Amino acid sequence: MNRKILLLTLILSLTTLIAFAKTTITCSGSTTVLPIAQATAEAFMDGHPDINISIRGGGSGVGIAALINGTIDIACSSRPMKSKEITQAKSKGIEPIPYAIALDGIAVVVHPSNSISNLTIKQLKDIYTGKIKNWNELGGPNLPIVVISRDVSSGTFEVFNERVMAGAKVSSSAQLLASNNAVTTTVSTTPGAIGYAGLGFVSSKVKSVAIEKIIPSEQTVKDGTYKLARKLYMYTNGKAKGAVSQYIAFIQSSQGQKIVEKQGFISLN
Amino acid sequence: MKKVILIALIGLILYLPLSSQELKITGEMWNRWTMEGGKAPGDSSNTILKNYFSLERGYLGLEPKFSETVKGRFTIDIFSSDASNDGAGLKLKYAYLDFSNLIPIPDLTTTIGLQKVYFGTIYDWNYDLIGKAPSDEYKIANSSDYGITFNGYIPKGWGEYALGIYNGEGYKNYGANLKDNIEPAFLANLRLTPVGGITIGGSIMANSNGRNKLLADNTTNPNYNQQLLTDGLLRLAYGPLDLWIEYLNKKVSYSEEFSIKDYTANCLSIFPTVKLKKLIGQDLDLVGRYDRWDETDNPANQNLLNCITAGLNYKFMHDESANPAMQLQLNYVYKYYDEEESSAQYANKLKDTSTLMLQLKWRFNNTITL
Repeated sequence: MNRKILLLTLILSLTTLIAFAKTTITCSGSTTVLPIAQATAEAFMDGHPDINISIRGGGSGVGIAALINGTIDIACSSRPMKSKEITQAKSKGIEPIPYAIALDGIAVVVHPSNSISNLTIKQLKDIYTGKIKNWNELGGPNLPIVVISRDVSSGTFEVFNERVMAGAKVSSSAQLLASNNAVTTTVSTTPGAIGYAGLGFVSSKVKSVAIEKIIPSEQTVKDGTYKLARKLYMYTNGKAKGAVSQYIAFIQSSQGQKIVEKQGFISLN
Repeated sequence: MKKVILIALIGLILYLPLSSQELKITGEMWNRWTMEGGKAPGDSSNTILKNYFSLERGYLGLEPKFSETVKGRFTIDIFSSDASNDGAGLKLKYAYLDFSNLIPIPDLTTTIGLQKVYFGTIYDWNYDLIGKAPSDEYKIANSSDYGITFNGYIPKGWGEYALGIYNGEGYKNYGANLKDNIEPAFLANLRLTPVGGITIGGSIMANSNGRNKLLADNTTNPNYNQQLLTDGLLRLAYGPLDLWIEYLNKKVSYSEEFSIKDYTANCLSIFPTVKLKKLIGQDLDLVGRYDRWDETDNPANQNLLNCITAGLNYKFMHDESANPAMQLQLNYVYKYYDEEESSAQYANKLKDTSTLMLQLKWRFNNTITL
């Protein structure tokens, strides 16, 4: 009799534990997507107390590698996956499915005291390769240019590298920083500096420069006239299911897209 | 003079990485305990033949990135074991440059130097088992060789391909071990991933051995032969199961006058892995492998070997991309011959052998921005 009671208690305890166990979603990758992921996760968890979302940065490359290794549910990326990464994923039985969650423009920023307000892609490339070394070569102040770039695991760096550098080497004197915030903070405190970051990280402490006479804005990013416009993604293994599907649907909903805009990025619609 | 050359070489090796944009420093060590037992014909029980600790591999590498399109890799292998004659050794494993924009085809890289060979599973082999890839284990192809490869990815993740030209000697051969060939080895490799979890592909490699077909006196060289190596593979990965099936074939043809020496050897290898992480929460894999290496057609080395491996792979520390940084591997390998020819030289005068290996494998890497 005692044994039966004990067994019943055990089963009940286990059932209760399972019923109240939280579903955890793990998400890592792009530092650009990080503020969107964090803000939307907080709002989503408020409405879904049974779901816990764990978010880490590291860079798009790191998140995609973790998805390929099957250790996370969502890889955040500020660039599309490469053919090499898709092949590696598929051969391991991982079918990466992209979900666009926001639009963004990579803003080129300088110190607010800098009189330069427009750069061409060629001038930008010449600055980053070290060919142009002083702002006065572009009609600006007589001030050496301090080049700030992103580290290689960054998706923002890869998009900038593809569209601006076209494979050319970034000057060895450039400072490579690990996050968008680090770039804007450094530029804001260095008069001769130039850097680039996602639109959501641009504040009044830095000055956003037009590229080919087009300022990054909601309109120019949406209509594609801004040369450094891009989509931000979340990748899942196969079509998103369960809690992961609910979370991504929430980000893509009007409520989620309002949070995207609040974070300084551009909504999909 | 030798000293000057040595100093210049060391200077170049140090200068090249330092002139790069970034420098990745890598290391990988395999600390192993091996106990091997064997049974001669007529024996009723195994005799312990080997029982030792060793550093089987001690890879140290520099991976400089000169620009977004040019990267290099320089890796040496320092190994130490009481079982080897000299107690320790040093080999150059990789020394190559990758150029990604040399030929204007998307996702195509040109690799020049001492590099991995894209034959069969050698290129993919990341030692989830302690043993080597079948084509390396049965000396069908070399894992690393000097040459040039064009390797690329098919857009949208449909697969990858490689075309290469190599010495055909590998990185380990020297002195009397050299094939003494003057013709390069040609390689083609294709992998397709039509849907997630299914990879099909194959490789083909043409090679020669024995220098010239004709000797100096215009007579036929009895040692000259041509080798055609082919490989077909299938990989199925679904959930916790990852299964590799590989079939290898080696066809050796001598000149017509010596065609009696022609032979074909083949190998069937099946390598299943079951990942238990989702089930038990620990990154633990069950691994197994079955190889059937059939060289009965080779008059110089007739044998039909069966090899069964079973093991565990416990990855207990990972880097930020979830790649294993430290893992413990336990493998039991049982080899036996189908025919009672075990006194032959090929079988090391043993009917069968059992080997138990426990290996602690650890890796590290750090990237320095220069």
